[in-house]
Amino acid sequence: MAAPGATVPAARIRERPRWLEPLLVQAGALLLALLISLALGAVIIVWYGESPILVYSTILKFAFRDATSFGTVLSIATPLIFSALAVAVCFKAGLFNIGVEGQFLVGLVTATWAALHLDFLPGATLAIAVLVFAMLGGMIWAAIPAVLKVKTGAHEVVTTIMLNGIAVSFLAWALNGPLKFTETEGAFNVDLRSDRFADNALIPNIGELFGMKDSADFSLLFFLALIAAVLVWFLFKRMRLGYEARAVGSSPGSAQAGGISIGAVQIKLFLISGALAGLIGMQQLLVDKGALVQNYEAQLGFIGIGVAFLGQNNPIGIIFAAIFWSVLSRGESGLQIDTEVPREFVIILQGIFIMTVVIVYQVARRWAARRQLAREGQIEEMEDSAASVDVEGLAREDI
Amino acid sequence: MFLEDIGASIQIAFTYFTIIYITGLGGLFSERSGIVNIGLEGMMIIGTVTGSFGTMYFTTELGWGIPLGPIMGLLFGMVCGLLFASIHAVATITFRVDHIVSGVVINLVAIGLARFLSAIWFGQATQSPPGQPKLSPLDLPLLSDLPWGLGRAFQQLSPMVLVAFLLLIPVWYSLNRSRWGLRLRSCGENPEATRSLGVSVSIYRYQGVLISGALAGLAGAFLAIEESQFWREGQTQGLGFIALAALILSNWNPVRLLWAAFLFGFAQAIPLRLDDFFLFSWLPPQFIRMIPYVVTIVAIAGFVGKVRPPAAAGRAYEGGGGTL
Repeated sequence: MAAPGATVPAARIRERPRWLEPLLVQAGALLLALLISLALGAVIIVWYGESPILVYSTILKFAFRDATSFGTVLSIATPLIFSALAVAVCFKAGLFNIGVEGQFLVGLVTATWAALHLDFLPGATLAIAVLVFAMLGGMIWAAIPAVLKVKTGAHEVVTTIMLNGIAVSFLAWALNGPLKFTETEGAFNVDLRSDRFADNALIPNIGELFGMKDSADFSLLFFLALIAAVLVWFLFKRMRLGYEARAVGSSPGSAQAGGISIGAVQIKLFLISGALAGLIGMQQLLVDKGALVQNYEAQLGFIGIGVAFLGQNNPIGIIFAAIFWSVLSRGESGLQIDTEVPREFVIILQGIFIMTVVIVYQVARRWAARRQLAREGQIEEMEDSAASVDVEGLAREDI
Repeated sequence: MFLEDIGASIQIAFTYFTIIYITGLGGLFSERSGIVNIGLEGMMIIGTVTGSFGTMYFTTELGWGIPLGPIMGLLFGMVCGLLFASIHAVATITFRVDHIVSGVVINLVAIGLARFLSAIWFGQATQSPPGQPKLSPLDLPLLSDLPWGLGRAFQQLSPMVLVAFLLLIPVWYSLNRSRWGLRLRSCGENPEATRSLGVSVSIYRYQGVLISGALAGLAGAFLAIEESQFWREGQTQGLGFIALAALILSNWNPVRLLWAAFLFGFAQAIPLRLDDFFLFSWLPPQFIRMIPYVVTIVAIAGFVGKVRPPAAAGRAYEGGGGTL
């Protein structure tokens, strides 16, 4: 999309440093999108007969009023960070993994199997084994579209959509069959679920250390998500695979000419993505519930696509985007208590926000590209000493 | 009796065929015009909740025992599907957002919007009051008298099943024999060339996406009104994606879509009626539900036949004719 930059002479005219420009455009776009969506949300609120200020302040209040509230926000954000990272890893190489949802579901199944069948493992090794199995499950499910893409050219968007459908049925089968509970807890046990896991399969709740109540479900997993983000950042900034991935993403032809095996890069990235996707379900499995339940929280893989977009596929941006998203989600319960607006309003607001962000980013990118092109026009103008070139007109034609 | 079970499952298959076929036709119009639409599921969800509301809202009878509710519900679902699809159209055509990104967002927003509307209309976020009226079912003449229980397949069918079959005629004609259809298809194959002939690509793509929303909304309304007689969260169960699968399997051809939709519709019916048949009894019902997806993966991987999507589908059209 972005026009190729004219490197050396461009520095001459530009007053602002090179790295600042895209950052400013991004920040401006984000702010604009936020304002637009808050305004659109306000229209709905007023139509509903409430005060937008009350509704928005309630959402903020519920996220930040005490340590427990914010802890809840962070634990909602944890799976979203994994999910968005999984999306971003593939996206860097121009791969669209919308199969994160399916990979996360398969990870739930393999992790549950490990938690129930590897219970001979002592202490924390069981929890670690469960995490490894979750990652393996995600990787297996991600390997299928990767291999199909490399071997047969099947487009990953289509295959992953189909594999998502298969994963839903696979989980339903596992929960009805091999993973179905064996011990019953009296008459209360009506919901379908797996057996409860041993305590050492769970990830310890560490909210107390930060003055949070247990209900925040704040665990070490959040820090694992942060570590994962740092690792992904490291992968793309410092490692060979990350460099190759960016090369494949920006120009497959020249990457191949440069001796990069595109297929190998794609498969590796899909596997990393699948491993991250496998961890999405661990917050609900190992912290919130302690068992695989029938009404598991779905759609996390798809929300991750939105969060990744919000964070511009940047690992650090993704952390903030996930927390922002979770602040809104947390606000839901506040709306229920303090306002007349139904709690589902938050999902609408999130939807409006993500759609606005997507559109505004797109417009901003075009605007920046057009400016860039106009600049190049100016440079050429200076170099050729041509007197009058309609720079704007030229740019408009070329875009 | 076995043949009776076959008959009954074909009867169920007709219902699912209708949903998959109408939604698939929606996807067909959008993708043949060059806009990839993975938001079909979301547009269908909007159709289910609005269709159910339309049925609940209009309680009068038209006379001859025909209730007005279901008809208005189907229409309302169709209109709301169209309105909802306009988001996808504006995002992908006017603002040139990536089609897949927009489609994913459409699906996410639909779930939230359905809950929101349900909370307002039905007082609860997850379902509408059950037992809503539906169109009076009909028995097909002659066919419903087939012997050995096979007639079961053609009894108690929703009139909408016939409508779905008949839809093929205007769809096929408009796509393959009209100037409008030629232009729509050329927008999906080579927008630059289309533009050079003085045709506005954007306008045709808008029409394609809006038609797809209307049809997906209609299919959703049919699911809520005719199949379940109420709205419930998660009712679509990925049928929008199955419609997408049928569309791919049919190579974006309305006639072959008929077969693909019926095949997948039948696959949906197996766990409901044929689960003790020897071929399927050893297979858990959840595995039968995977059939459409597996078949599509096999097809897209090129193991059987060749899948060829419209050449320009998914590609942003950068030329003139847009508004930016």
